Amino acid sequence: MNQKAIIKRCKELGCCDACCIRYLGIKTPSAYENAQEYVLKISADKAGQPQKPETNIEPEPVTEPTDNFPQDVKTEAPEGATGTTEATSCEQSTCSELLVADNSCETDDSCGEPQPKRKKLEGVCVTCLGVLQEENWPQCWNMVQEMLEKKRYECATFACALSAPIATILRERIVALHLRDACAAYDDASLTPLKEAWKWSFGARLAAHVRLSLDSGAVSPLLVTLHIEYPDDMQELEVLKALSPGLFSARRAAGRRFGVEFTRRSVEQALAGATLDALRTRAQLSEAPPVRARAQCVSVVCTHAPLYLGGRYVKLSRALPQTPWLVNGVRMMHSSVQEIICQPIAALYQMGVEDAEHRLKFMSAGREDVDVRCLGDGRPFAIEITDPTRQPSEAELSELCEQISASGHVRVRRLTPVSRDDLAELKKGEETKCKTYELLCIKLSRSADDEPATNGSASEHAAGAGVAVTARDIARVNAYRNTPAGDAARVLLQQRTPVRVLHRRPLLTRARRILELSARPVPGHPALLVVRVRTEAGTYVKEWAHGELGRTRPRLGDALGARADILALDVAAVELDWPRRPPPTTTHCDPLLL
Amino acid sequence: MEEISILDSIPDLNNFKTFTDRYFSKRYITDVDGIKNNDIMIMFHSNRIALLSLAPSHFFFSKNEEYKVNYTVGKVDRLKNSVRGKSKRGGQQLGPKSVICKIEFEDGTGFEIPCCMKGTLVEVNEELVNQPKLLKEMPDADGYIAIILSSIAISEATKSELLTHEEYLKVLDSCEIKN
Ligand SMILES: [Zn+2]
Repeated sequence: MNQKAIIKRCKELGCCDACCIRYLGIKTPSAYENAQEYVLKISADKAGQPQKPETNIEPEPVTEPTDNFPQDVKTEAPEGATGTTEATSCEQSTCSELLVADNSCETDDSCGEPQPKRKKLEGVCVTCLGVLQEENWPQCWNMVQEMLEKKRYECATFACALSAPIATILRERIVALHLRDACAAYDDASLTPLKEAWKWSFGARLAAHVRLSLDSGAVSPLLVTLHIEYPDDMQELEVLKALSPGLFSARRAAGRRFGVEFTRRSVEQALAGATLDALRTRAQLSEAPPVRARAQCVSVVCTHAPLYLGGRYVKLSRALPQTPWLVNGVRMMHSSVQEIICQPIAALYQMGVEDAEHRLKFMSAGREDVDVRCLGDGRPFAIEITDPTRQPSEAELSELCEQISASGHVRVRRLTPVSRDDLAELKKGEETKCKTYELLCIKLSRSADDEPATNGSASEHAAGAGVAVTARDIARVNAYRNTPAGDAARVLLQQRTPVRVLHRRPLLTRARRILELSARPVPGHPALLVVRVRTEAGTYVKEWAHGELGRTRPRLGDALGARADILALDVAAVELDWPRRPPPTTTHCDPLLL
Repeated sequence: MEEISILDSIPDLNNFKTFTDRYFSKRYITDVDGIKNNDIMIMFHSNRIALLSLAPSHFFFSKNEEYKVNYTVGKVDRLKNSVRGKSKRGGQQLGPKSVICKIEFEDGTGFEIPCCMKGTLVEVNEELVNQPKLLKEMPDADGYIAIILSSIAISEATKSELLTHEEYLKVLDSCEIKN
C-alpha cells in the first residue's frame, strides 16, 4: 500500500502528523513520539528524495502555546475568552456552555439560514481536534501537575487515560471513508485508536513533565484521567439522527435511562456500515466539518487504586456496636469497632471526618451483638481505602495496631495488605465458617433429679435462688444430643427468625447445627454454668440459650433438664484463617545454598 | 495478652431480668369491652414488634378449670396465618376489636381474647394448642398468644395510650380498695 499517498490524502483533508500515522495503522509507540519527523521520513523515503510533506496545517508557534485563537477569528461570539492564558477548568466549562448556548439558534428555524458563528480555525486537526497536537499539551500538563500536587501521591508510576470528544469518532469515520475512496486497498479498520496514539505521544511527554514513569493501567495503581471536551461535540453529532433515524428514535422511545442520546456506543452504532454516499445524501456531510474551536482539557481526575488492609479484631466491650448504631439518625452508642479501627487510618492519610466516611470502608466476616465480646484470635475484618496516597509501611501498620489497641475496647494485633480476591474469601467466610462461643448461663428451675430443698447462699429474691447446677446437670449437658449417635452434629435446631430482627427480615424457620457442646460449673455461683458450643454459621446462640419463648427448639433447658437463661456471651473463635499469615521465614540456612 | 474469661461478666443476680423484661416494655389495658378483669398485656419490642398476652390480673388466672385454646375465630383460622417477605405480606389484618383466639373451658364456658391494637398478625403461638397450660404458667414468656407487627407510629401511639406497669399497679390497687 502506498503510505505516501495515504499521508498526502490525510494532509489534504486536514489531519495532523500523528493522525496521518494513525491512518497508516502504525502501532509503534516511538513513531508517535516525534510524529512530524516520522511523516517527513516516509514522504522522503518513498519519493526517493527528501521533501517536506504537503501540509495545510501550520503548527502554531510553540512560544505561544496558550493562545488558542488566532487574532483574525475574533467574532461576535465570546469564544475569545477560551484563548485566555492559564484558564482554569471551571472557566473553560463556563465558556463551553456559552458557546453551545450561542450556537443554539442554528437549530432554531426562526434564525432562517444557519449562520455559523465561528469561522474555521486554522491549524487544528480535523480528526483529533487537537488532542494529538503538541501545542495543546502544556496546558494539560500543568493541569495534571496541579492536581497531583494537590493530592500528594507518593507513587513512582502512573497510567493515563483519555476521555475524548465523541465527535472524533464521526470525524475518524469520514476521513477513513475518504481514504478508502482514494486508495482501493486501504483497510479502514487498521486505524490506530486515538487513546493509544495519545498515550504514546502525549503520555510519554507528560511523564517527563511530572517526573513519574508511565506504566499501563494494569500495573500502576495511580490513574490520571484527562477529560478533553470540544464545544461543538454534541451539535456535530446531530447529523447522525438523519443518517440513522431509527436508532435514535428507538433510544428516545426507550426513555430517560440513556440520559444522553450520543454516547460512544450509539455513535459507533450509527456509523456502522455508513458510506460516503449515505453521509453525503442523508447527513449532508461530504467531509469532516470545519473545526471552529479546538478541544480542550476541562478537568483532570487522579485516583489511586484502592488499598485493602486485613486483620482480626478482638472486642473487649459489652457496650460497643461493631458499626455505628443509628436509630432514626440518632446514634445510640458513642463509638463502634469500625470507628475505633478507622480513626487512626484516617489520621495516617490526613482525611477529615467526612472524607474518611467516604473513603474508608469497613468489612468483616460477620458481626457480634453490641453486648457480645469477641475474644481469642478475634474476628477477621478488612478496610478498603479509596484513593490512598500511598501504601503504608510495615512500621506504620504496627503503629496503627498500637493506636487502635490504645482505645482499650478493641485490639488488633496485626494489619496486613490484602488483595481484592482475599476480600471475597472474607465475605464467603461469613456464611460458611463455624464459630465457638462461651455462654454464661443460669439455671432457673429445679431439675427432676434435684434434692427437694436446696438452700443456696444467694438471697431469696435473686434469680436462681434455691437452685444449683449439679454434677448430674453438667453430665446431662455434656452427653446431650438430639441427633443419631455418630452424627457430626450434637444438636439439630429449628430456629424461627428472632423477634429482635423480625421487623426487617422475613419470618422463616431455619435448621442450624450445634457441632460441639459442653458445660462446666461456676465455682462460688451454684446457679450458674458456663456452656461452650461450636456452631455452624448463622446459628442464633442467645436464642438457643433462652429458647426465645419456645421459638427455637430444642433449647439449652432441654439439655439441662431445667429452665435456663443466658447472662453473657463471648465469641471464643471464628474459624476462618484470614488474613492468611505469610509462611514463616526459615531461620536456618539451607545447606544446599551454602 | 492477659486471659479474659466470661467469669468476669457475672452480673448481680438480684437484678436479673427475664427475657421479656430485658427486651420488651409491658403495657396494660384493663376491663376490655367493659368486662371486669378482662385485662390484656401487650409487650412492645423497641423494633415495633408486639407480643399479645394476658395480664396477671385477668380473671382467667383465678379459674381452676381445664381449658383449650382455639385459634379459629368465625371463619378465620389464625393457625393458617402466613406472612411473606420482609414486609410480612399476606398476614391477617387486625384491629383493636379483632379476636385472636378463644379460651374454651371444659364446663362449656369461655371467653375471647381481643387484640387491642391495629397491626398485621405475624405469628400465633401454636404451642398453646398442644400445651394450654403454658398460658396459665408463663403468660409473659412461652405462654404468649400472638406476635403482631405494626407501624412505628401505631406502635408508639398504642404504647402511650395503654397503661405502663406502674399505672397498671395503681389501677389494681384502687380496684382492691373499691371492693
Ligand atoms: Zn490529529
